[in-house]
Amino acid sequence: MGLIIEAIVTGILTGGVYALMSSGLTLIFGVMDIINIAQGILVILGAYLSFVLQQHFHIDLFLGLLITMPVMFGFGVLLEFVFIRPLKRDRTMLSLLVMYGLALVIEGVLNLIFSADLVQLQGWYTTASFNVGGFYLSYIYVFGFLLAVVLLAGLYWLVYRTKFGFSLRASMQNRVAAELIGIDVERISAITFGIGIALAAAGGMAFGATNAFDAASSYDLISRVLAIIIFGGMGSLSGALIASVGMLVVEDVTSVVWSPVWASTVFFILLVIILVVRPQGLLGQAEVRKQ
Amino acid sequence: MKILKMVGVLVLLACAIIFPQVFTDPTVTTIAVFTLIFAAVATGWNILGGYSGYISLGHIAYFGIGAYAMALFCLHWNIPGGYEPFLLVPLTALIAAVVSIPLGWIALRVRRHTFIVITIAMFFIIQLLAYNLIWLTNGSTGLGLPIPTDWGGYFFNYPFYYAALILLVIAVLVSWWIRNSKFGLGLLAIRDDEDRALGLGVKTVASKLAAFAIAAFFAGAAGAIYAYFVESIYPATIFDPNFDVAVVLMVFLGGLGTISGPILGALIMEPLQQYLNLQYGENGYNLIILGGIFLLVMLILPRGILPTLGDLWRKYRAMREQDTAVQAEEGMVITALPGRVGRSTAGRDESAPTAIAPNQNEPGEGINV
Amino acid sequence: MIGRYLLRPRAFLNSICVLIVALVALSACGSSTTTGTGTGSSQTTAPIKIGISVSLSGDFSADGKALMEGYQLWASEVNKSGGLLGRQVKLDFASDASSTTQVVTNYQKFITVDHDDLVLGPYSTLLTKPSSVVASRYGYAFIEGAGGGPSVFTQGLHNLFAVSPPVVSQLNGFTSYILSLPASQRPTTAAYATEDDPFTQPMIDTAKAALEQGGIKTVFYKVYPAETTDYTPIAQGVVASHAQIVVLGSMLPDIIAYVKAFQQQHFNPEALAASAGPDQGSSFTGPIGGSNVAEGIMYPNGWYPGLNTYQNKQMVQDFIAMFGGTADQISADSAEAFSVGQVLQEAVNKIHSIDNTKLIAELHSDTFQTVQGPAKFNDQGENISAETAIFQWQKGSVVPVLPPDQASATPEFPKPNWP
Repeated sequence: MGLIIEAIVTGILTGGVYALMSSGLTLIFGVMDIINIAQGILVILGAYLSFVLQQHFHIDLFLGLLITMPVMFGFGVLLEFVFIRPLKRDRTMLSLLVMYGLALVIEGVLNLIFSADLVQLQGWYTTASFNVGGFYLSYIYVFGFLLAVVLLAGLYWLVYRTKFGFSLRASMQNRVAAELIGIDVERISAITFGIGIALAAAGGMAFGATNAFDAASSYDLISRVLAIIIFGGMGSLSGALIASVGMLVVEDVTSVVWSPVWASTVFFILLVIILVVRPQGLLGQAEVRKQ
Repeated sequence: MKILKMVGVLVLLACAIIFPQVFTDPTVTTIAVFTLIFAAVATGWNILGGYSGYISLGHIAYFGIGAYAMALFCLHWNIPGGYEPFLLVPLTALIAAVVSIPLGWIALRVRRHTFIVITIAMFFIIQLLAYNLIWLTNGSTGLGLPIPTDWGGYFFNYPFYYAALILLVIAVLVSWWIRNSKFGLGLLAIRDDEDRALGLGVKTVASKLAAFAIAAFFAGAAGAIYAYFVESIYPATIFDPNFDVAVVLMVFLGGLGTISGPILGALIMEPLQQYLNLQYGENGYNLIILGGIFLLVMLILPRGILPTLGDLWRKYRAMREQDTAVQAEEGMVITALPGRVGRSTAGRDESAPTAIAPNQNEPGEGINV
Repeated sequence: MIGRYLLRPRAFLNSICVLIVALVALSACGSSTTTGTGTGSSQTTAPIKIGISVSLSGDFSADGKALMEGYQLWASEVNKSGGLLGRQVKLDFASDASSTTQVVTNYQKFITVDHDDLVLGPYSTLLTKPSSVVASRYGYAFIEGAGGGPSVFTQGLHNLFAVSPPVVSQLNGFTSYILSLPASQRPTTAAYATEDDPFTQPMIDTAKAALEQGGIKTVFYKVYPAETTDYTPIAQGVVASHAQIVVLGSMLPDIIAYVKAFQQQHFNPEALAASAGPDQGSSFTGPIGGSNVAEGIMYPNGWYPGLNTYQNKQMVQDFIAMFGGTADQISADSAEAFSVGQVLQEAVNKIHSIDNTKLIAELHSDTFQTVQGPAKFNDQGENISAETAIFQWQKGSVVPVLPPDQASATPEFPKPNWP
């Protein structure tokens, strides 16, 4: 029983890290109707940025976020401007392909700069742990989870309590109508994309501190993150959080109770079942017949 | 015109048939075999993704199922190396199709993005089953296939080349037949507006499922040939997400919904990828160049090569001929909509004719061979 | 119905043009990758070309790079001492991006386009198997050092020669040692966790069987998928089992995760053995937080820098001269590649020929010396005289501790607690 509780706790904490990585993706989808398949490699890019800051400038990982997040935000806005904005028709599928091409290029560049060696972000909190009820919780998992909570809360405030958020939600619901009432949907899209990529930077730091990674790690990541946001409902932030935590808890508990070999399988089967019953995901909006 | 088209197709086919006799270098024919295999998968996939609009990002799962079926038959029925395994290909394809039916039935209950993710999830489930059902698949140790020992290096590729070519030809014929049939019309209708199609009496569930299974059939057949060509399969290598994405990219590159688009996409992408790996693999530029080329093409030719070229040609023609002359020649019903020829209606995807209201369409739009 | 979809000859002509262009491009790409002149072996002073596919991107990229360096080092050594049979050796590398499709094409290219005289093996069982089949079609000898999973030997190929020790028995030194401990010191429980990989799982299962037979109870045994990203539940299971010794079938990413998890959980087993990962030098010690963290961890390997085998000392020196770094940073993959080169060199010198058929016969009949120890091949191509030593991290470097006749230090048991 103790093991199961441990698994649940670890699942929750690790879920926080995945929530960070997925939140950007779900936000971008909600506002722009785009599946940013490059999110995986952008998370890794964020991780490498944190790595460089830590290795060469000895900046603490969390403090380094104050640098990496704005940089990635800017990068995201640039990407949106150059690659997404020119796409006028059939945006969803085209953006998928364009972002895939971009992901390949970024992966190639990262491979070139950093070679294929596995790296992991270090800090005093990555190995230290504290005792809780008979087992040890590593600080980094707790900090990562707290980071996720703080950033998501901040995002929530931004989306639901500010004028920008109002425009954002309006664009999400109905792009054309939002334009008609004077909202600059293009600008909102660019900023949202930037925010999504900035979140990827944070997720990258948390991921890099808890896993050894290299440029090729992005493939596993993107498939899981994609599954999470569909599970949680595309466009829903709380959905992303619940789905991430849910996925990790299910996997970890299955791992302990049954066998690690079946952990992912159980999750995917669960995903299929839930999606068939509720195609819009846990907290997503039911698909309205598009006009 | 029709005769011209038939002659053209036969010329192409003849080229393809004599290709390995002319370019005898086994390395070239190896790349050609891989290209043909992927072209067949892409053509099959296009029947689902291009015609019905349901983008499945996990169909390579059936490629793997076909491969495992082939390996297991050869193992348990003691099939020796040689021509016999090729006879098993239709059987393996059938198995892949049969397996896809219940899975497709589940997946096709949802739409758009959810569908995409469910197909991805199913892909991973099947891959994990291949790893974990060790009594069946031998787990991560993988399976080997019979090695034809009397086919020396210079002969080996020929049977595979022709087997893959036959598969591709069948796939194209099926694709062409579907496109011009009532079934295909139904699929196109589903793609444009599924609810309206349902209201008009199209059997959407059966049609989608049939397309799903047909795509799985060709993927399975291609997987069987691939497995036999490479002589060994592992869950890690035969269920490869990269193959999956590559096939989809090929179809989009060539033109989603066209008949020869997938083939063109495969012809470009597979040799290109191999070439880039060979020339630039050592310093790591291969990914960058591939991604860069891909980006360029998608930004310049967003609908894929064939539809965009078709558009350009159409515009060129429209500038030189009059409306009524075009309509009379093409045998279309004359409609009164002005400014129609040579202008695309904004926001409408034109890689396939709109099946629901054909009279409002440009004649024979987007149909290519 | 068909009348409504009359076919358009112009768009169709477009297709023909593009298809023909594509076909031409295909053949052009085939010929443009030809390097050098055609038949090198007929001229007695032209370089000997050897084709090798290495994984420079994708899953196996870290190991691929190390493998390539090993081959490069060998080639430079051979050429410095006058070459092979008086001819310079030229390595023809191609990257396979860790892909089966690419590796098949690569070996085809080496043989039929580049007309390389010889070929050597790539990295990993998954890629070795299809490549060896391609080579066998043309009668080429296939000496390799990084593909030793049992599945490689099951297809009845006679041209395959795996110079590295077969994986299944690699932990034998470790298990014998544990079982040889006096009863008061001997552990009574063991935990096993392994990837379901054709390289690692057979090794762990063999070790488990041996230990169980010796009376050591298995309190935890889990097999997990190779692409697992979250090892925490498995690590916690190991911790919760309170096993006295832990045997892991891991690759580099997992062992890093386990070490961190055990540190975080303050779990200190008396012995920790892993199938792979700790052999990767600084790639291992870096992410875990330093070589002092690695203290006491054991792993099997055919090689380490101080091993007293044929040409090893020289190789280590020259490797550092060529690629920099320290001896401990040299990956075992490089040593494997170097051994492959050595076997080839010795065989060629013994029969004074680079003819593949004669080489295959020679390789099956003789014994060869490598930096990993002696190599003698059975019918299937397995190296039956390979002895796998067990190495242990002690005070920042690796030393062989088992079997006793190969040891240069005594095994540290029990393993000290995490720093």
